[in-house]
This record gives sequence, structure tokens and C-alpha cells, in this order.
Amino acid sequence: MAKLFLKKTIKHLFLLLFSFVMVFPFLWMVVSALKTKDEIFHFPPTMWPDSPMWHHFTEAWQLAPFGQYIFNSTFTAVAIVAIQVVNSALIAYAFTHFKFRGKNLLFGIVLLTYMLPAAATYVPSYVILANFNLLDTHTGLILSNAASVLGIFLFRQAFMQIPRELVEAATMDGANHWRILWKVVYPLSKPTFLTFTLISFVQNYNSYLWPTLILNSEEKQLVTTGLRQFFIQEGAYGIQWPLIMAASSFAVIPLLILFAFAQKWFISGISDQGLKG
Amino acid sequence: MFYSLYISFTDWDYMSSDYSFVGLGNYFDLFGDPLFYGVLWNTLYFSVGVVVPSVFGGLLLALLLVRKQKGMGFYRTLIFSPWVTPAVAVSIVWSWIYEPQVGLANWLLTSFNLPALEWTSSTTWAMPAVIIVTIWKGLGWCMIFYLNALKKVPQSLYEAASLDGASSMQRFLYITLPLISPTTLFLVIITAVDALQAYDQIQVLTQGGPAGSTRTILYMYYQSAFEQFNMGQATAVATVLVILTASLSLLQFILSRKWVHYQ
Repeated sequence: MAKLFLKKTIKHLFLLLFSFVMVFPFLWMVVSALKTKDEIFHFPPTMWPDSPMWHHFTEAWQLAPFGQYIFNSTFTAVAIVAIQVVNSALIAYAFTHFKFRGKNLLFGIVLLTYMLPAAATYVPSYVILANFNLLDTHTGLILSNAASVLGIFLFRQAFMQIPRELVEAATMDGANHWRILWKVVYPLSKPTFLTFTLISFVQNYNSYLWPTLILNSEEKQLVTTGLRQFFIQEGAYGIQWPLIMAASSFAVIPLLILFAFAQKWFISGISDQGLKG
Repeated sequence: MFYSLYISFTDWDYMSSDYSFVGLGNYFDLFGDPLFYGVLWNTLYFSVGVVVPSVFGGLLLALLLVRKQKGMGFYRTLIFSPWVTPAVAVSIVWSWIYEPQVGLANWLLTSFNLPALEWTSSTTWAMPAVIIVTIWKGLGWCMIFYLNALKKVPQSLYEAASLDGASSMQRFLYITLPLISPTTLFLVIITAVDALQAYDQIQVLTQGGPAGSTRTILYMYYQSAFEQFNMGQATAVATVLVILTASLSLLQFILSRKWVHYQ
């Protein structure tokens, strides 16, 4: 009994320490934002500033249009997710409830694109957007992200678990496919919809390389690109660190808050996909 | 995709509208360039350095966290949290932690009487520095997949094995490991594909430097396409990247027949 207790204590101590290490960079980020320049260049590092400089947050907020950046990121991510959800659900529905020739082959191709690096399509996508005059527009960013293979894949897995009889019964009652999808299939696979929405939102909000390539104007930047710009300008690698830390907090904290509220759906939903390799 | 392949046979510079067809020229240039082998080596170093600890670490954490006990959900949440945050933002924070003079990493090292490192400005330590950030970010993701896989292992098997006198180590080796092998394979492939596509943290932390020591294949692609506007060269690099990823997927397919046990 005593041995078991000891084992448990060690385990908890280890986990506590490890979790602390994992979140420490976030704490460090916020604490550093509150320090004065002298404190931040002090060695050994001070753990807590003498008097927290809360005004660093307002200062950083005013130095660059972070409100605008966050709005841009949220707006494009929401638009992309909305399109992806409808799109993927329609395609997945077709894959699970329609019969047509070459269905498996087509699904194979879809899966293959999941494996291939998205980056390989950047040059051609860039050229295509340029041809449509969509460079440096949010429309271009949204349209180029309209399809999600992960979404198709997740929804297909979920839809396959829905009893065929239910769909058949609905067809008998004269419902069309659109109605079946939203009145029968959707309510039954809500958790998958929720999880995919969250994952896709996080990924699009955080995306960096592709938006950097196609968006140039200051007022259209996403928070990731804006932050990076701020880092280069203000920081010049090591002058305005407290402000940079404050700015990083602007980018990170909204997602941490989202995660804090929705973590159940992230953690339970993610793991159900693709376990069969 | 095919368009990309087509561009890789040309010397197009994106600015001008005319270009000439150079056939395999870009590929010959690429494979004749000793720098390219350095890039391939970096890519391998980075991928292995990220995949192995993430997958093992994820499994270890999942094993510790799988039982329903008080506080487990709390630990899971904390460990997973880095995954939701933007790589750019957290890499900036890490670049401060890695600061050679006053950074936290060196403070830790010196307080254990270890020598301080140059981290991102040394050719030896820049890559490990990037790898550490990448693992930190992705560990929770691996853990979640393993948690779910472990929950699906039937308890009855463990009970039967215990009756037969199997030790907990034996139970782990002969029951748990084979039954979670599909997850292991899936995670190895997914983290490897992600590692091949890593960009954000490299750009913030090192920009591929110092002296090209953290330039991976995707970073090279970005540089030749959108810094030098050598689209032909870039798409040739992209083709190599695609071939690498495709062979990984093929490997998965072959391995899954031999090694992976499905219930």
C-alpha cells in the first residue's frame, strides 16, 4: 500500500513538473512582457518583475495594428472553416451515400493529396491566383483554402457509422439529399463537425507561410505575419523585448482561451480519426 | 501539381512572361550542387530528431495518463496546449529563451554547471534548438492519439495474460505494443510529413542559418521560389519533396502489411 502510494506520488510529481515545463514558455512570455528593459537583460533572469509594466501591453497594441491583424486572422479563418465544413460534408456525403463508377479510385486520389505536401502546390497556386488578380486579397486566401482533405476524411469516417436505414427511411419520406445531410446526418455526427471546425480554425488562424506569400498590404496582414514584422522592426533582435513579448501574447492568448473552453472537443475528437493508418 | 512539374522543366523567373524549356537541367543543377546534399542531410536530421522523441514521448505520457484518475485531464490539457498556438509566436518566445547571454536556456545550463551554448547562432546547436521547439509543440498531439489507442486495448487480454503469469513488462511488450502499432505507424508518418513541411519555426529562429545548418528542403524551396524567383529551380525542389513524401506513404503501406496488427 505504501509502495503504491509512493509510486503514485512520483508519477504525479513527474507529470506536474512536465506540464509545468510545457506551459512555462507561455508564462515566461507574459512575465517578460511585464519587465523593464533592464530586468529583461538581467542575468541570472529575474522571475518576477519588481513593478509589473502593464503599460507595455497598451504600448505594443498601439505600435502596430494588432486589433486589425487579429480581426483579419479571425475573419479569414472563420470564412475558410465555413466553406470547408460545407464543402467537405458535401463531398463526404457523396462518397458515403452515392454510388458511382470510380468512387474508390477517386477517394484514393483524395487520400493521396492528403499525403503530399501542400507546399509543393504553392508556386502553381500563386500563379493561378495572380492570373485571377486575387493576390493580396482575403478572397484569394479564402478561396485557395476552400477544400480540406482532412475534413473530407473525417466526415467520411463519421458518416460511414450512420445506419443506412435511417438515410433510406428519409429518402422514402421524400427528403432530398440536401435535407438528409443537414437534418439526419449532421445531427448524428455533430462531434466530428465540432472537432473539425476547431482544428481547422486553429490551423488557419495560425497559418503563416502561405498568407505571407500572397498578402502584402499592411492592413490585410494576418496576426502571424504582422507579429513577425513587428518582431523584425521593433526587435532588431534584442532591443524591445518586453514589447515583443507583449505582442506575442496578443497572438497566443486568444487561442489559449479558445482551447481552455473547447479542450474537451479537441482532445476527444482528434483521436478518433485515422487510427487504421 | 502537374503544372508544378511542368514549371520544373523551365527556367522561368516569374517576372518575365517568356521562358525556355530546359528539360532536366534544373534537376541536374540540383543534384550537382553539394549544398543540396547538405539540405537533404538537414532534412533527415530534423525529421528523425523530431519524429523519434515525439512518438516515444507521446507514448510515455499517454501510458502515464491513460488511467482515469484525478488531475489527468488537467495534465493532458497543459501538455496539449502548445499545439493550438501559432508557431510564429511561440518561436519568438523561444528565441528569447535561447538568447546566448541572458536567455533562460543558458541560465538553466549554467546553474547545473554545464557550459552555456550559443544555441541558434552556432552551426552545431541551431538544429537541436529548432528540434526542441518542434517537439515541444507536437508532443501533446502524439499523446492524444496514443491515449485513444490505449483505451481501445481490451482489458480482457490483460486479465488473461495476468492469469498466465505474465509480468507487466511482458504484458506491455506482447499485448500493448502490437495492438497500438497502427497508431505508432500513423504518427510516425504524420509527424514525418509535418517535419518535411516545417517552416515557421525555422524562419523565426534561424532563417535556415547559421551557414545553412538549419536549411531544410522546404526552406530551400521557399528561398528559391519567393526570394530568388527561380521558379524552375523551386519546383524541381518541390518535386523532390513530393517524391520523398510519396515514398514515405508507400513505405507506410508496405510496413503496415508486415508489422502492423489490426484487431
